[in-house]
Amino acid sequence: MTEPDPDMAAAELALGVLEGEDRADALRRVLADPAFAREVDRWRDHFAVLFDHWPEAAPPPRVERRVMKGIAPDRVTGRFWPGIAITVSAVAAVLAGVIILRPPSAISPPSEAAGPVITLVANLAPTRGGAAIPAIYDARRQEIRVGAAALVEPGRAEELWIIPADGVPRSLGLLSASSRTTVRLTPAHRALIDATAKLALSSEPAGGSPTGRPTGPILASGQFISI
Amino acid sequence: MGTSGDQSRSGSEGARLALTEALVATGDEDRLAFQRVYRMTSAKLFGICIRICGDAQAAEDVLHEVYLTIWKRAGSFQPGRASPISWLATIARNRAIDWRRANGARATTPLAMADNIPDGSPAADEAMIAGEADRRLHLCLDSLDAEHRNAIRTAFFNGVTYRELAEQSAVPLGTMKSWVRRGLARLKRCLEDD
Repeated sequence: MTEPDPDMAAAELALGVLEGEDRADALRRVLADPAFAREVDRWRDHFAVLFDHWPEAAPPPRVERRVMKGIAPDRVTGRFWPGIAITVSAVAAVLAGVIILRPPSAISPPSEAAGPVITLVANLAPTRGGAAIPAIYDARRQEIRVGAAALVEPGRAEELWIIPADGVPRSLGLLSASSRTTVRLTPAHRALIDATAKLALSSEPAGGSPTGRPTGPILASGQFISI
Repeated sequence: MGTSGDQSRSGSEGARLALTEALVATGDEDRLAFQRVYRMTSAKLFGICIRICGDAQAAEDVLHEVYLTIWKRAGSFQPGRASPISWLATIARNRAIDWRRANGARATTPLAMADNIPDGSPAADEAMIAGEADRRLHLCLDSLDAEHRNAIRTAFFNGVTYRELAEQSAVPLGTMKSWVRRGLARLKRCLEDD
């Protein structure tokens, strides 16, 4: 070994050994450098081979009963709004969204100060392609922050929806097309937010959907992922 | 489904196909297919959860969440892009790591535990992920210094950070980083060497 400090950040990120500032730096690179992002994906694929060697352990039978009950058909699922094709991006890509919306200093390991507490992130993938729009849920401030989208033609509005496990979209309000939007959540909306919920953006008449349901085409959507 | 889950273990390709088929059907909200996915994979995924969480009850809860997530996200599984078991196992590993870091859990398994995981080539009937990539990775891992290899394997199997790795093996943080980075650099050269 001659090189004292090989730059292995892509592999380190895929392996999961980074934390704090180092991890934040690596996530920033995922966002800024497509070649680096591909490298992270390649390492993930390499390491995935090791799953084969993971020792198995049979869970108790009660887990299967609980899981099957958890998906019981009495819950209305995504049929309500079939137009949405949810694409879950690689976790790194989703996490990278955090970087846009948080100053670097806030990414350090959890502190007890009254700073933001980011528990869920989503990457809203535009239906027509292009850069994803990051969204984060700050549990302490009870708000969702969404990056600028600018997907809608002039004269129309971008409306943000949350689609919880019941598949019924609820409006979270209109977004600014030119800058980041902070959406304050009501207690009713907060109750809908967990890692099974999706976020979606639709194109609506100026002022928002007149019906309380999305009326225009879906511009972007993405699944929350807990971090 | 033409291929039954019981038969599928007789061949890695059969297992992969049966699982892919069941996972794709799960994406169409087919509950029976989802149950097949559960039965084909729950021992693997529970093994992942229990090792990373280090606590049986927590691992059960995490496993439950993992399968609910799989049910929700199966529609986004791309059969051509990822191996089904890797896709599922990645969800389980990430969820279990989330739990660990959120609960400030300390690893209950010492560093040496990674040695207990066999690191030879997988037996054909166990290999749900088959192919040249497997053999290459194992050959390359085998070529690393033992300390480097063990640190990388432990990071993967225990879901731990540099800091935890260093604490568990009682070496300075800088030493641990150096082991892992040098090991990864060498692994990369080996993997790219055709």
